[in-house]
Amino acid sequence: MVAATQTAAQAPAHSTQFLSVERLKKYFGGVKALDGVSFFLEQGEVHALVGENGAGKSTLIKILSGVFPYDHGAISLDGQTYRPQSPHEAKERGVQVVHQEFNLLDHLSIAENISIEKLPRNRFGLLDRPELNSRARKALDAIGLTDIDVKAPVSTLGIAHRQLVEIARALQSESQILILDEPTATLTERETKRLFELVARIKADGVTVVFVSHHLDEVFEICDRVTVFRNGRTIATDLIAETTPDGIVQRMVGRQLAGEMVSGDEQKDFGGVALSVQNLRTEANPTDTGVSFDLRYGEIVGIAGLVGAGRTEILRGIFGIDPVRSGEVQRDGETARFSGPGDAIAAGIGFVTEDRKDEGLILDMPISANISLANINSVSQAGLLKFAAERRQATEAGEKLKLKYGRTADPASSLSGGNQQKVVLAKWLARDPKVLLLDEPTRGVDVGAKAEIYAILKDLARSGVALLVVSSEMPELMTLADRILVLAEHQIQGTLQRADFSEENILKLAYGQTELAGGNSQ
Amino acid sequence: MTLQTTTDTLPAPSRFSVRTVLQNAGIGRALLALIIFFSVFTEHFLTPNNITNILTQITINLVLAVGMTFVILIGGIDLSVGSVMAFAAVVAGKAITLPGFGPAEAIALAVIAATLTGVLCGLINGAISAYWALPSFIITLGMLNIARGAALQVSDAQTIYSFPYAFEEFGSAMIYGVPVVFLVALVLVFMAWFVLNFTVFGRLLYGIGNNEEAVRLAGQSVRRYKIAAFTICGFTAGIAAVVYMARLNISSPIAGIGFELNAIAAVIIGGTSLSGGRGSVIGTLLGAFIIGVLANGLILIGLSDFMRQMITGVVIIFAVILDHYRAKYAAT
Repeated sequence: MVAATQTAAQAPAHSTQFLSVERLKKYFGGVKALDGVSFFLEQGEVHALVGENGAGKSTLIKILSGVFPYDHGAISLDGQTYRPQSPHEAKERGVQVVHQEFNLLDHLSIAENISIEKLPRNRFGLLDRPELNSRARKALDAIGLTDIDVKAPVSTLGIAHRQLVEIARALQSESQILILDEPTATLTERETKRLFELVARIKADGVTVVFVSHHLDEVFEICDRVTVFRNGRTIATDLIAETTPDGIVQRMVGRQLAGEMVSGDEQKDFGGVALSVQNLRTEANPTDTGVSFDLRYGEIVGIAGLVGAGRTEILRGIFGIDPVRSGEVQRDGETARFSGPGDAIAAGIGFVTEDRKDEGLILDMPISANISLANINSVSQAGLLKFAAERRQATEAGEKLKLKYGRTADPASSLSGGNQQKVVLAKWLARDPKVLLLDEPTRGVDVGAKAEIYAILKDLARSGVALLVVSSEMPELMTLADRILVLAEHQIQGTLQRADFSEENILKLAYGQTELAGGNSQ
Repeated sequence: MTLQTTTDTLPAPSRFSVRTVLQNAGIGRALLALIIFFSVFTEHFLTPNNITNILTQITINLVLAVGMTFVILIGGIDLSVGSVMAFAAVVAGKAITLPGFGPAEAIALAVIAATLTGVLCGLINGAISAYWALPSFIITLGMLNIARGAALQVSDAQTIYSFPYAFEEFGSAMIYGVPVVFLVALVLVFMAWFVLNFTVFGRLLYGIGNNEEAVRLAGQSVRRYKIAAFTICGFTAGIAAVVYMARLNISSPIAGIGFELNAIAAVIIGGTSLSGGRGSVIGTLLGAFIIGVLANGLILIGLSDFMRQMITGVVIIFAVILDHYRAKYAAT
């Protein structure tokens, strides 16, 4: 195994190829999802697949895991042809996938979920619970989750732990290749760190890990090699040691990124206080004091913190979704009592939610209908829909946000992740909000679309809109925000001004510390 | 770059696969095939008399199914419509036989009584299931029993009869061989079609059926729309009661047993998804026709009523399988 990783670091000889994919093609009707994908994996390496959304990574994973057959090309695994007809067959050959969307059964216990593919039976043919639980214990211990009760239902776990349970499940069968599809999208830094330690351990055991991620830092942290996808093709495979993040981004997008990712330190004048939150406590907030802060017109305030620190709860409390236990929200200096989202919207607030599939979009409905959802009164008269006006609204929004779509009547599900997110934005922008709340505005969005979304948000701020952005990506907050509130355990641990922005400072506050490098918290 | 293709779209079917057939097997084509089949294999199917018969037979189911479409579109179900229809008919029967009214007033009173009863039952169904977010299956199952009990209680378990002659005439009136009651049902279908396709209300019902949370977060009152859908379903049960009384000239407290299942069948055969969000009332119209044509044609062909029932069952199951494929390949 040590030998295997060493060869990975050198220019690999042909014989070490463990899985090789050659000129793979896959068509969906007339659409070329994969149009010539070639790369190979070596045993015991961590191999990153990167590329914009829709570049073909997910299709490749689905082919490797036996969900789709492929049309042309060849795959060989361990020297034999590999053409899995079903996910089951892929697993038999040792290819395991941890999907982006979780496949856990919420109401069953963790132990049952871990063994669901092969439940142990005792000699009477009944479920062998002791064996079930001890297997799960072993699987969880192996990945360092020693503090979790295997008999608890999965529904009691947070999203990060669910992911780890999925990995535990994948690992307990004999895995040769473990594919992690955007495993860190829902994880906080701390949890990500834990995952990476785990990946290192798996790798040391000789398992090959395929790592799909939108975070290049992560790729550079744990991967040995990286393959870049663009438009259904593999562009290049590089040794991590011999490339740079900039080089990869250029390969991914085929162009230089605009300067949107870096922003100057210009001095800004903000307007009056648009939104004032005072001692706000939602049901989920166990503290006595709650959170207090002001948001001014033209200002972008970021909220950082680990998962579970109460970031989303603040937004949901302000927007009137979750009941507020105590404290108050003031809008333009006046106390606002929102009994539901309708009231908040009427007060000029918009909320771009975290989960666009569950909360933001109606996937099966047309793009135009999604955009008009929050301001349906402006495209209707006396309860009757004005279809032409609705179409016009969608076309205009599409132009403004550089939306890539076919027709406004196409379902939202026909769009890529970045474009779906733009539709959610368009829905709220159509209302001309004065205050916009955003929860993870670029989750699952590719690099190019990310830069475009940042530009849109900055434009909004420039035009006087007050923005409150929750994000797990620190570079995102540092790019966008004028000020970052860092939450720890449902309280504002500190506020960072632009001059003090650094990942280190954010993390320190998020971990409950107050001493900062080069500056003080306020 | 051109339009991004999402990687989770499924493969487009090749030209002559089973998939293609299933996908394209429109409900209208199925109906046409049935009509051709029965026209060829029976003598009497395509006669004016028989067509009138079919139209008369499907009317009540069609009326109930129109309301049911609203409820199923938001992902609900209403099991109470058969009982509610009987309850509404009994209340209306009491009203129409009140002494001291002329025929016109008596009929107007009966129509108002029937629709109000239906609307009230639907409102209760909707309010309870929306307010406490309870499954409508259970709430309307309760209402099924309540309304049936109420019908028996109000009528003292007796059939009510001797309605004004004009009412009876309305029930059997024809325009060019088309029963007037069927035209009433068609008007309802048209109204429902208009509401579902051209109004904010209809749009939001589809939205709720697809993604309730998204509609709620867009500031809409999901509860109010859910209650409205159930109320519409109750209203059509009231209209069905009027049609039933006019056709048979009686109000029986044991009318309409099992009608809810036929109405649900028409909606599902018509391609509306049982999980909500997808479907149309035109499909429901065709679904009601398929059930009616099957029932009529199979008897003409000489099959027993038992066989007819079995075949209708097969058609329902087939329709759901079809829906499964439609949903699965809708993306491509």
